[in-house]
Amino acid sequence: MSLLSNQMSPARWAVLLAAVVGLELANRLTGAGTSLMLAEMLILAIFAASLNLLMSYGHMVSFGHAAFFGLGAYGFTLAVSRAGLPVELALLFGPLLAGFGGLVFGALCVRLTEIYFAMLTLACAQITYTVLFQWYDVTGGDTGITGFMPARFGLSEANFTTLVLVVLAVCLALMARLVASPLGLAIRAVGQDRWRAEALGLAPRRVQLVAFVISAAFAGVAGTLFAAFQGAAFPDYAGLGFTLEALIMVVLGGLHSFWGGVLGAVLFTQLRHWAPVLTGHWGLLLGIVLLIFVIALPHGVAALGARLGLGPKGDRA
Amino acid sequence: MSPLLSARQVRKAYGSFVALNNIDFDLARGERHALIGPNGAGKSTFIACIAGQLPGVEGSIRFKGDEVARLLPAEVAKRGIGRTFQISRAFLQMSALENMTAAFIIASGRWASLSRALLAEAEDRAGGMLATVGLAARAGSRVADLSLGDRKRLEFGMVLAGDPDLLLLDEPTAGMSIKERHHLMELVATRAEEAGKTLLFVEHDIDVVLKIAQRVTVMVRGAVLAAGTPVEIAANAQVQAVYLGGHH
Repeated sequence: MSLLSNQMSPARWAVLLAAVVGLELANRLTGAGTSLMLAEMLILAIFAASLNLLMSYGHMVSFGHAAFFGLGAYGFTLAVSRAGLPVELALLFGPLLAGFGGLVFGALCVRLTEIYFAMLTLACAQITYTVLFQWYDVTGGDTGITGFMPARFGLSEANFTTLVLVVLAVCLALMARLVASPLGLAIRAVGQDRWRAEALGLAPRRVQLVAFVISAAFAGVAGTLFAAFQGAAFPDYAGLGFTLEALIMVVLGGLHSFWGGVLGAVLFTQLRHWAPVLTGHWGLLLGIVLLIFVIALPHGVAALGARLGLGPKGDRA
Repeated sequence: MSPLLSARQVRKAYGSFVALNNIDFDLARGERHALIGPNGAGKSTFIACIAGQLPGVEGSIRFKGDEVARLLPAEVAKRGIGRTFQISRAFLQMSALENMTAAFIIASGRWASLSRALLAEAEDRAGGMLATVGLAARAGSRVADLSLGDRKRLEFGMVLAGDPDLLLLDEPTAGMSIKERHHLMELVATRAEEAGKTLLFVEHDIDVVLKIAQRVTVMVRGAVLAAGTPVEIAANAQVQAVYLGGHH
């Protein structure tokens, strides 16, 4: 039960390895359409994992996480299109702008807790969306920014998907490192009982702000990749739609689990991809699935995995 | 020697209701001091005032000579005042060991670190502290699965982890069996004595108070009614009247 030995069981490593190999095989063997679908899935997995970090460990529910996805996309896009930076260098500006946005908005939001915190995040995201939507001279407004780079850096569909898979792996490794650190423990402590944490000498808002900025920066990585994937950035990236999708992914995948965001992103994108085979009513299907999960599997797919014996419940947040 | 803690004219009101009415209170270094009184006397409010958890506290609270009355709880904690809560507070979804490790990490002041070495060291010390408070066998249990008594022990240990000079314990034995009560309070007194800690605790069980406390302050309706040694307090007619009046 030690924190340091709280590492992945061999069974989990095996499942993870099989998943990676399976993904790469599907990516290489089933054509460009599948590769594109997988690339989007993996980018959304990074995005959902960043929200999961905030929700499962910091117990902070954000209704505005897409703000940082959008800022990531625009930070990268503007660095290329307006500042004329080389693409490789511009990639840094996505997470940077998202992290900076996280710092500014986070400093505001952590002043309140629970539903009031959530409403502030919503307000901040709406402000972001409106600025991106209205500031024509810089952001291109509702027509977005297009044509500033070849989509996917000019990589083939399959190669781009492999690249995204690598970035996802790096992000998850960093997140795992964070979770199993003193900082991770402090974030969980404040999330679980801010009074206790405070009485022990921890300033809760400071810890929450750090968690918020880190989570925003990871969302910015996802946004940057998404802009590179599309070769374009639109205000919708910061809109409520993306926020809701990320929230749904975390719930489907499993709150209070490290893998919740990733699993949720996989389930969500696969459902959306295959839904047309079953029904023309995607929204209805999603609603029903969400209903079933919240009632029957409140801890999501991840809890199902734990029940199947894939490691101890050691990754509980 | 100047007192470790010295409160003067401490007042806390909620609208028109005065919870604490100009309290004067001194605590000597190394003392074990009990705060007693009927429900609603303001004992927990006073503890919360010292710990910095209430806004709008009037008057002065000096700790080691410094004014602490309007500091934030985390700042009060860093200056050496640790507290437990009436309803024990811990990180419910974590194991006892993780809770204790978190307490040591917070005490180290290096919570923003990513160092595994720091975590390992804190965990090591946490194991020792769990043994000290008699929870070695429950190290892996989630707090949510611990008994009330074990939670109180854990919380006490977590506060000790910060090595505070002053321990504020708000009803440390509430809801425990008589046997458990005496066990816990013996542990508390022993640890406090060994480490030279000053102890201020709220307690309803008079047997426990008489056994543990060196001094007792009786509060009634937001004011100090009497203060003295346990023997003096037990013999105080006013106190007897309040206790008989309050409980029957």
